[in-house]
Amino acid sequence: MQEKEVIIIGGGAAGLAAAVACKQKGIEDILIIERGDYLGGILQQCIHDGFGLEKFHTSLAGPEYAQRYIDQVKEKDIPFLLNSMVVNLTPQKEVIVVNNNGLAHYQARAIVLAMGCRERTRGAIGIPGARPSGIYTAGVAQELINLKNYMVGEKIVVLGSGDIGLIMARRLTLEGAEVIMVAEKLPYSSGLPRNINQCLYDFDIPLLLSHTVVNIEGNGRLSSVTIAQLGKRGGIIPDTKRKIVCDTLLLSVGLIPENELSRETGIVLDNITGGPQVDERGQTNIPGIFSCGNVLQVHDIVDNVSLEAEYIVEGVAEYLEGKLIKEQQIIVELGEGLRYVVPQKLISRKDTIFSFRVNQPEEKKVLVFNDGKRIIKEKFLRRVNPAEMVRVKLSSSELEGIKRLKVRLV
Amino acid sequence: MEREFICIICPNGCRIKVEYEGTNIKKIKGDECPKGKDYVKNEITNPLRVFTGSVLVENGDFSLVSVKTPVPIPKKHLKKIGEITRQIKVEAPVIIGQVVASNLLNENIDLIATRKIENRKFLSSQ
Amino acid sequence: MKATNNYYDVVIIGGGVVGCAIARELSKCKVNVAVLEKEDDVSWGISCRNSGVVHAGFNNKPGTLMAQFCVEGNKSFAALCRQLDVPYKKIGKLVVAKKKEEIKELQKLKQQGDTNGVDNLQIIDLNEVKRLEPNIEGIAALYSPETAITSPYLLTIALAENALDNGVSFFLNTQVKSITRLNNSRFKINTAKGEFISSYVVNSAGLYADKIARMVGIKKYRLYPCRGEYHILDKNVSWLINHLVYPVPQAGAGGLGIHLTPTIDGNILVGPSNEYIKIKNNFSTTSPVMKMLSAEARKFLPLISPGYIIRSYSGLRAKQSPSSEGGFWDFVIEESDTVDNFINLIGIESPGLTAAQPIAKRVVEIINKKERLSPNPNFNPSRKGILRFEEQDEETKKALIKQDPDYGEIVCRCEKVTKKEILEATNNPLGARSLISIKYRTRAMMGRCQGGYCLTRIIEILREYFDLNPQEILLKGDNSYLLTRYRRNKENELCKKKKLLSLAEELPV
Repeated sequence: MQEKEVIIIGGGAAGLAAAVACKQKGIEDILIIERGDYLGGILQQCIHDGFGLEKFHTSLAGPEYAQRYIDQVKEKDIPFLLNSMVVNLTPQKEVIVVNNNGLAHYQARAIVLAMGCRERTRGAIGIPGARPSGIYTAGVAQELINLKNYMVGEKIVVLGSGDIGLIMARRLTLEGAEVIMVAEKLPYSSGLPRNINQCLYDFDIPLLLSHTVVNIEGNGRLSSVTIAQLGKRGGIIPDTKRKIVCDTLLLSVGLIPENELSRETGIVLDNITGGPQVDERGQTNIPGIFSCGNVLQVHDIVDNVSLEAEYIVEGVAEYLEGKLIKEQQIIVELGEGLRYVVPQKLISRKDTIFSFRVNQPEEKKVLVFNDGKRIIKEKFLRRVNPAEMVRVKLSSSELEGIKRLKVRLV
Repeated sequence: MEREFICIICPNGCRIKVEYEGTNIKKIKGDECPKGKDYVKNEITNPLRVFTGSVLVENGDFSLVSVKTPVPIPKKHLKKIGEITRQIKVEAPVIIGQVVASNLLNENIDLIATRKIENRKFLSSQ
Repeated sequence: MKATNNYYDVVIIGGGVVGCAIARELSKCKVNVAVLEKEDDVSWGISCRNSGVVHAGFNNKPGTLMAQFCVEGNKSFAALCRQLDVPYKKIGKLVVAKKKEEIKELQKLKQQGDTNGVDNLQIIDLNEVKRLEPNIEGIAALYSPETAITSPYLLTIALAENALDNGVSFFLNTQVKSITRLNNSRFKINTAKGEFISSYVVNSAGLYADKIARMVGIKKYRLYPCRGEYHILDKNVSWLINHLVYPVPQAGAGGLGIHLTPTIDGNILVGPSNEYIKIKNNFSTTSPVMKMLSAEARKFLPLISPGYIIRSYSGLRAKQSPSSEGGFWDFVIEESDTVDNFINLIGIESPGLTAAQPIAKRVVEIINKKERLSPNPNFNPSRKGILRFEEQDEETKKALIKQDPDYGEIVCRCEKVTKKEILEATNNPLGARSLISIKYRTRAMMGRCQGGYCLTRIIEILREYFDLNPQEILLKGDNSYLLTRYRRNKENELCKKKKLLSLAEELPV
C-alpha cells in the first residue's frame, strides 16, 4: 500500500486547481487520479472561448485554460495517473485504483473529490416514443465532434437551453449542420444571456421557450420529433403539437454531479445540488474528505471552479495540520427565493464564500443574511437568474459569534 | 432606432439599451463597463466575433487541435471559416498560439492553436 | 457439420429464445440446422424485452402446455443456466393481496399451482409479508420460493452461441420473404440474403409466426401485438425489494399486472402495461402509460420516486386472443396438418422464456418421431460467457490485468465494464456488430449515465478494430447509424473511395 498526503480524484478543472493550490500550500505528497487519457477533463472538449476572464483577465478557449494548470502541474512535478479509475474509496481514505498496470491500493491522509458531473439523459426526463439512434446529450456530441472528428447529425433539434446546448447549436452550425431550433421547457432560458446572443441569434436559430419534445419518432435513425407548447402550469397544450423532421435530437437538460463513488463511501449528499453536503471548507461529513468543482455543485463558469478548488485547499491544509476544528456547527437555513446554498453548514466562523442558485429570474432583489435576530449582511442584486450562480463572501467579523444563519432573497 | 443588446464580452451579459441613428450612438444605458460601449459600437457598425473550431492533426497524440482567431473577425465570415477548418490539416507537434493558417479569405484572418499537441508516442520496437 | 450448399435439414425461422433453444436442442443430434433471423442479432424481438422471470407455473390453467412446460422449465432452469454460464437467481416471488377479497384469489392461485406441480407454495400473512418485504404495502401474499430471475437476452445469446459451437449455422439480417414447396417436397425459403432449401421448417418467428405460416397457405393463425411498457430503476434503489412483487392478477387480463421485478443486474423493473396495438414493431413508450406505471408502482411501494427512473422501454406479447377476449390462449406447438414437415410455434408469450427448453424438446420430439435422429457424439453442452471483471475477487482482478492489460481499462464507469469485455463482445461468435449487441453482452451503456461516458470510447473501439466508416457504426441494426460523417471533408472523400473499393473487391471474379 502506498501512502499519500492528498489524493485528488479527477484531473479536470477542479482537480488541477486543487493540486496546484496544495503544492503552493506546501503539501508535497500529492497524487491526481484521472480516468481519461489526458488532463483537463471536459475543458479539452470546450474549444469555444470565454474562459478565464475572472481568473486570468483574458478570454481563453477551454484547452488553453486547462493548459495553464497542466503546465503548473508539470512544472511543480505533481504526480498524476491517467487512464486510471478509482473503483473504491473507504471512509478511512483508502483508495483502490484500476489501470493497465494493475490494481493498486493507496492510503491518503486527505481526499479531494473532483470528479465533475455527468449529463441528464432521455431516460431520466422520460421523453416518450421510439428508441432510434440520433439522440445525444450535448456533451457527448461535443466530445465526438471536437475531439474525435465525427459529425453526429445534419438536421438537429436541441432540447434544453443549458449552456452546452447553446454552445453546441453554434458548433453544429459552424460544422455545416442545420440547427432547426432550441426548445426550452421553462419560460426562460437556463443558459447565460450572452450565449443565447452569440450562439443562437448570430445564426438565426430560434429559441422556443415553454416548449418541449413530447414524442420521438424513427425506425433505425431518428426521423422526427414532436414538439408542443407548455401551458402556465407545465401541461402540454394539445393543439400546439407539431412534428419537426430532423435526424438528431440533442439534449441539454441538466447536469448531475458524479457522486457514485461518494455515495458508496457513505458521503451524505444534498438532494438539490446532487453534491456532498459540506462545510465552509468543502469538507464532507467524513472528516478529511473534501469536495470541489462540479462534483460539489454544478457551476456555470470554470473560473469559479478553480477558485472554489483553491479555496477548499485552505481547509485541506488546515486538516493536515490538525487545525480544522469544529467550533460550533450550524446549518445554513435557506429562506424564500433560493434553491440551494453551498456550504450547507459552518463549523467555524472564518471568511466564507457562499454560493446560491435562485428559483426564478427576477430583478432588483436583496440577498439577506441574518442570525435569527439581526441582519448581518445584505447584498443588492440587480438581476438574478437560475442560470447564474450567485456568490457572496461573508467575513469572519460578520460571522463572529452567530448561533444561527438564515439566508433569503427578498 | 432603439435596440437592446446583450453584451457577450463577459458572463455578466449586460443588457445594454441603445438609441442610435445609422452608426451614430445617441443614448446608451445598462453598460456596466467600458467594454460594453465598444461592444455595442461594433454591433452597430461591424459585428465582430472570435471564431473557434478545430483542425485535423497528423501524427499527434490527439487527432484534432482546437483553434481560434487571435482577434474577433467580422461575424459574416464565421461559417466560411468553419468550412475552411474542415479542410486544413497540420503536422504534430503543435504549441498553443502557433499559427495554423493565415490570411484566410484574403481578409487577414489567422487561426492559432489553442491546444498543445505532442507527437504520437510509438512503442519502441522489441 | 456445416452444409456445403444452401441445403439444411432443418431451417428455424426466428432467433428468439425459443428458436435458439430449438437450435441447441437439435444440435444434440446429427442434423444440419440453420437459424434465420431478420435482425442484426438474436433475441431482439420479444426475447429481449420482458421481465426476465423464471416462472414457477401457478398462473397457468392446469392441463395446458403452458402449465406443463412452465413447471418443467422452472425445474430445469438452474441447470441450463449453469451449463451455459448465464446468470440465474432464485429470489422467490410474492403475489400481494391488498384487500381481503383478494386473499381468496391467492388461495385459488395456490391451488392451481399445487395442481400444476409447483413446489413450496404458501400463503403468508401480513407479518410475514412485512418480514420479507418491509417496504411493500399489502395484507397477505402467495409466496413462491421457486420463482427465479435470469437475463432473457444473455440466455438467448448463450443458447445461440452453444448451438453455433455445436454446428448450427446462424444467418443474421436474413428476413424471410416467401416460402415455396419444391417437387421433391423440400422447402425453398427466399430471404433477404438469398435462398435456403430445407426438409423441415420450424416457424418460431414470434409475433410474425402467423405471417410465416401464411406463406405456406396456413391461414388459421392470427397474432396480435400487445404492448407492455416498463421503467427501469437505478441500481441505487435495489434495496427497495428482495423478491418479485406482483399484484393479484385480474380475471381475464392478458398480463400478470404491473409488477416489480428485480433484475439479475440489480435494477428494478416496473411494468409491464398491457395494451393491444396495431403495428407489430411499435416499441414506443407513451406518456400516459409511463405516468400510470409510476402511479401503480407507488401503490405497492410508496417510496418509489420518478427520480429513480433511468430508462423506459416497451416489449410486445404475441397474443392469439383478440383484444375483445383477452386472457391467455395455450401455446400451439404442432406440425401443420396441411403442410408436412412444417412445424408451427404460435402464441409463445409468457411463460415462454421459462418454457423455452421444454418447448424445444417437444419440437425435436416431433421431428424425431419421423426421422429417428441419431445423437451427435460431439455435442458439447457447455458454453462460457464473457468474464465479468467487476465480479471477480481482488487477486483474480490483479491476475487478469497482468494477463491482459485491457482488463485494467474500465470503459463503462457505471457498470464497471472493461475494454477487454467490450472487445470480447465486439468479437462475439455470432458476428453481431451493433452497439446494442455489445450492450446486451457486457452491460456497457446500461447504467445511470446511459452511455454518457463510454459511448465515445466504444465507438472508437469499434471503428479501430473493424476499420469502419462513421456511417457503418450502428446502434441497432439497419439504418440506425450513429454518426453521419467525418467532420473534416477530406476524410469523407476517402471514406467514399474506400467503400467503392471494398464493393469492387467483393464482386465475384
